[in-house]
Formats: sequence, structure tokens, C-alpha cells
Amino acid sequence: MTVFKGFLTITKRNLRMVFLYIIIFLTISLMTQKMLGPQGTVSFELQRLDIAVIDRDGGELAKGLISYLSSFHNIKNLPDDESILQDRLFYREIYYIVTIPEDFEEKCLRGTGQLPVTKVPGSTSGYYVDQQIDTFLNEVRTMIDGGFSLADAIERVSEYAKNTPDVTLIDKTGNGGDMPGHAFMYQYMPYIIISILCYTLGYIMLEFNKPDIKRRIQCSAVSDRALNGQLFLGYTVIGLAVWCICTLMPIIVYGKAFMTDGHLACYLINSFTLTLVALAISFFISSFLKSDELISAVVNVLTLGMSFICGVFVSMDVLGKGVLTVAHFLPVYWYEVNNNLIAGNQILSHTQRNELFQGFGIQLLFAAALLGAALVIRKNRALSEQ
Amino acid sequence: MIHIENLVKRYGNFIALDHLNLDIKEGEVFGLLGPNGSGKTTAINCLLALLKYDKGTITVFGKEMHPDSYDIKQDIGVVMQNVAVFDQMSVWENIDYFCGLYVKDKKTRLELVEEAIHFTGLEDFRKSRPKKLSGGLLRRLNIACGIAHKPRLIIMDEPTVAVDPQSRNRILEGILELNRQGSTIIYTSHYMEEVEQICSRIAIIDHGQVLATGTTEELKNMIKTGETITLEAIALNKEQLAEIRGLPHVFEISYEEQVLKIRLSRAKHNLVRILNYMQEHDLAFGRVFSELPTLNDVFLEITGKELRD
Repeated sequence: MTVFKGFLTITKRNLRMVFLYIIIFLTISLMTQKMLGPQGTVSFELQRLDIAVIDRDGGELAKGLISYLSSFHNIKNLPDDESILQDRLFYREIYYIVTIPEDFEEKCLRGTGQLPVTKVPGSTSGYYVDQQIDTFLNEVRTMIDGGFSLADAIERVSEYAKNTPDVTLIDKTGNGGDMPGHAFMYQYMPYIIISILCYTLGYIMLEFNKPDIKRRIQCSAVSDRALNGQLFLGYTVIGLAVWCICTLMPIIVYGKAFMTDGHLACYLINSFTLTLVALAISFFISSFLKSDELISAVVNVLTLGMSFICGVFVSMDVLGKGVLTVAHFLPVYWYEVNNNLIAGNQILSHTQRNELFQGFGIQLLFAAALLGAALVIRKNRALSEQ
Repeated sequence: MIHIENLVKRYGNFIALDHLNLDIKEGEVFGLLGPNGSGKTTAINCLLALLKYDKGTITVFGKEMHPDSYDIKQDIGVVMQNVAVFDQMSVWENIDYFCGLYVKDKKTRLELVEEAIHFTGLEDFRKSRPKKLSGGLLRRLNIACGIAHKPRLIIMDEPTVAVDPQSRNRILEGILELNRQGSTIIYTSHYMEEVEQICSRIAIIDHGQVLATGTTEELKNMIKTGETITLEAIALNKEQLAEIRGLPHVFEISYEEQVLKIRLSRAKHNLVRILNYMQEHDLAFGRVFSELPTLNDVFLEITGKELRD
């Protein structure tokens, strides 16, 4: 087992780098989680906005609209001065300005007039109030067309507005709709696993692949089979060790929440298949890289590139369609798809379970393909050396 | 111990080994002498089954050598031309690692590693990393890694390249000591002084062929040159040079930058005859050297070119 022991000795020399990566990873994942992570939403509540209404009409319909809006929002008394109103909107002291023009009642009921509003472009608050104003005016028009007087129509619409609907929050994740903390940690895990394994194994194999050392080993009494077997064992042990360290981190940080997660096994299997992919990547790149500078450059480009386009650093929801199409050809994408599936659903449907297994399978296929390619490269190189 | 017969190795159209034949006996320090690119390393690589060859046979310890001849490899130690050690392991770990490729028993291996460290004088550098060692110490580590398992046959491929004279002497003494301890040694070099100093038998190799084999004396006796006399002489004319060339036993002269070089065959009083001629013709001369033939002379006569070219 000399080769294996040598493998471990060189690994020991690289431990500082391994721990450095773990610390960097932990810091990044905990900080990101703190900023973007779960808020623990467990109840539903209507949101009241601060809005301004300038009434230049003073009619019954205008007063009815103001009264209707006041049941949902806080109406701020502000002077009818455009610059003041826009300043307040700019600094978000108010979120919406309704200006009720003269002859509003007449024009509105005939359906010819428009209600000038000022809002934050594209904001949800804007759509929210738009929808309420439309609802009020449409309902009033409908009731008047149905024979109600304006006063009756306003009164009935305002009464309907007081009815509060029952809202039941569907908690698909078991965490108030948010991803659990350990899922965030698992989201960032590809970066750490691939980085550590590619760097560590890359540097070790750099030593073993030195032509003179290779020749010296070939001259020795150790058979090719024994040599490859011991190198394979080395890869396996280091891969397992890194996977165990990465698995320990969510246990230490989240403890019971992680251990009692119904998808614990899925998280473990997903990260394990990713570890196999990372081992295959490191074996592949060590087949043709001959200097530590090259290893550093290639591993950086590879890990950061995959992390950015496969949804490790940025959630897949905000990635463009084109980026996600490219990401399909990378193993980390399938890891993240699986992670999102596990984290976003407390109970997996039959279809989701199939998707999950498909994700595991695709990762394993990536690992096998990379391993095969590396073996072909090595074989060709050995033949050309002779 | 080693028998190489009609070995041919081609790289495309280039013939690296051209029907090379060698016989090496147990207990010898056998030198392979030849200029860079003559085929020494290729021959060694074929012998170690690191390279496939096109034709010929190689037998080591009476058995044919193949890439999977692990029983034969068990008794061979190799010291590569380039230093082949792990940068991330210490001196001790490196020797232990390479010894471990041959010796499984931990206790025996520990003893052998200690012996190798002592033998190469690396006692003070056990924990040092190779990058912290000087060129000479690195070469010694390279040797320690190759010989720690005490093999019957040690192959050293130019182990003293780029080594300071002090380390070189230590290495050469070490090689002779290994030979005294019972190892057969194959030593390749293009430094003829080293080969002459330590090898009991030498093969001169060029263009992939063995041109001559024998002890140093046998090789020197193969050639015409018995002595080379060099004189610092001022203003010799063509007639005088022709007369000198006509003196008994002189077979070649050269006169460049007032230095006269005369090559003579083996005979008594060659120097006296030359000096007498200079006195009789009242020719002024400065320093005079007389040299016995070297391996370079042997190489020069056989191949028509200097070994150092």
C-alpha cells in the first residue's frame, strides 16, 4: 500500500488548503443565507400602503373612492402640489398618488374619463392599488347599470370591501414556504466539493504524473494493476473524507433541523453523486494538466463558471433562459435542480421523485463520461510515450 | 547477468538503437560512454521495459525482460538522469516511499531507509523538503531513492549531471562502495573521466551502436595513439612542420596559435626525439606536455569526432 500511503502523505501537506476552502465556503454560505435566506413566513396579512389622493372633483363618487381606498390603505393628506407629491413618491414616503379630476363622476360613469395616477413603475404596490381602483369603479358602474342609485352602489361596494376572505397558506416546504437553512448550505456545496477535490487531487496527481516519477514507479516491482488500485483507493478515501466534512457542516450548524428533515437521505445522496462527479472532474483535469498554475487557473474557471451558471451562487429563478439551456450540459445544474426539488417540497410527488432519480442518474452519467474520457487520454498518452 | 542482442529501436525514420549488442557480467561496474543523443538512455529504457523496441532480445538475470517482469524488477534499482522525487514529501518520506515499492516489511524497510540516508550522507536533511536541498544533495537523494532496497543491479543514468565537484566525488565513491557491497552497476555518462575512474568495463556507443567494448586499457590499446605531445612553439614554417611529421612514430600533427600538437604511436623516447629536433634546429619553445591516450582519444579515433562535441 505504499502508493496509497504516499497519496495520503501528499494530501496531508494540502490540508491547510482544504480547511481554508471550508472556512471560505462556510462564511459565504452563512452570509448569503443571512441576507437572502428564509424569513419564516407562517401567516398571511394584507399590506397597507401609504398613498395620497388629490380630490379636485369633490363629488359623491370621488368621496366613495377615497373611503373605499382608506379601508385598505393609509391616506396621507398632502397639498395639491406636483413637485411635493413626486418628492414624497421618490423617497417612498408614499407609494401611490391618485388625482381625481373635475367632472370625474360624470366622465367616469359614462366611461369616457381616465383617472390620472402616479406610481413606482413596475412595482407590485402600483398593480395592487390599480387593481383595487378598477374593482371599485367597475363594481359601481355595474350596480348603477343594474338600477342602483350612485349612493347605494357606493355603499354596497364599500360594504363588500369589509368582507375579509379566509387565507390558508400552503406550506410546501414545511418551513413557511422558504427553503430550510441547510438547503442553502447544500446549494453552495458544489463549489466547495469540486474546488477542494480538484485542487487537492490535482496537486497530488501532478506529483504522480511527473514523467520521471512515473518512470521510476514503472521500473519498480509494483504492477500497473496494484498502482491503479491504490490510486483509486486514494481517490475514494479523499472523496469520502471531503463528503463527510461537507455533511458535517449542516449537522453542526443546523443540528436537529437538518437531522429531522424528511429529505435527509436525498440531500446525502445528491451531495454524494456530486462528490463522484467532482472526483471524475479532478481525474479528468489531472490527465492533461502539468503545472500547478494551470491547475489553479482551470479549477477556478471551472468551479466559478459552473457555480454562476448552474445556480450555485445565484438562484436558478433569476438566471436567464439561455444560461439555463447551457447549464443543462453541466453536472452541477442537475445537482441544483435536485436540491431545489428537495428543498422546495416537503412531500415529493411520484413525478418529482422520478425527476429526482433522473437528476442522480444524469450526475452519475456525467461522472462516468468524464472518467472514460480521462482513461482514453491516459491510454493514448502512455502509448505515445512508448 | 544482462544480455542484449540485436536491439533495434526506431522513432519514425530515426534509428535510435541500431542492432545494439551488450553483455554485462555480475559484479561489474559497466560504463556506457557516448555523447548526448548516442542512444544510452534509450538503451537503458528498453532494458527497463519502459520503451517498446522494434527488434532484438533483452535478458536480465537469465530471464527475458517484459513490462510485467516484476520478479526481475524487484532486484533492479534505478537512478534516473533527472531527479525523480516527490516535492511534497520530506527526504525521509521520499526514500521510504520508493523503498516501499520493493520492500513490504516495515521493520526491514526502516533499517534500509536509515542505511540509505547514512550512505548518501543525508542524515541532517531527513525532514527537509527536496526544494530546500542544493543540487548536489538532491542528486544524493535521487540516488538514495534508487538504491535503498539494496538491489542486485543498479542502473545509473548520468547521475552526476550538473553536480558540483565535491558532491560528484562523493557520488562516485558511493557507487564504488555499492559495487563492493555486491551490486552490479550500469553507469551511463558522457563524462569520460568519471567512466574511466569507476568503470571496470566500458562500451563506447554512438548512433545507437556499440563501437567498442573493453576495460579502459583494452580500449586504449585498440587505438593507434600512444602519446600526445603538446609544445608552445613560436613561428614554425611549413618545412619544419613537414620534418616533424616525418619523425619516427609521428602520425599526426596540428599547429594552431603557436601550439604544436603531435600524436605518436606507442614507442620509447618519443618526447626526447621531439625535443632533440627542436634543439638541433634552434627552435624556441615554451611549455611542453606529454599525455597518455584518454577515452576521448579512443572515441576520436573510432568515430572521427570528439566525445565532447
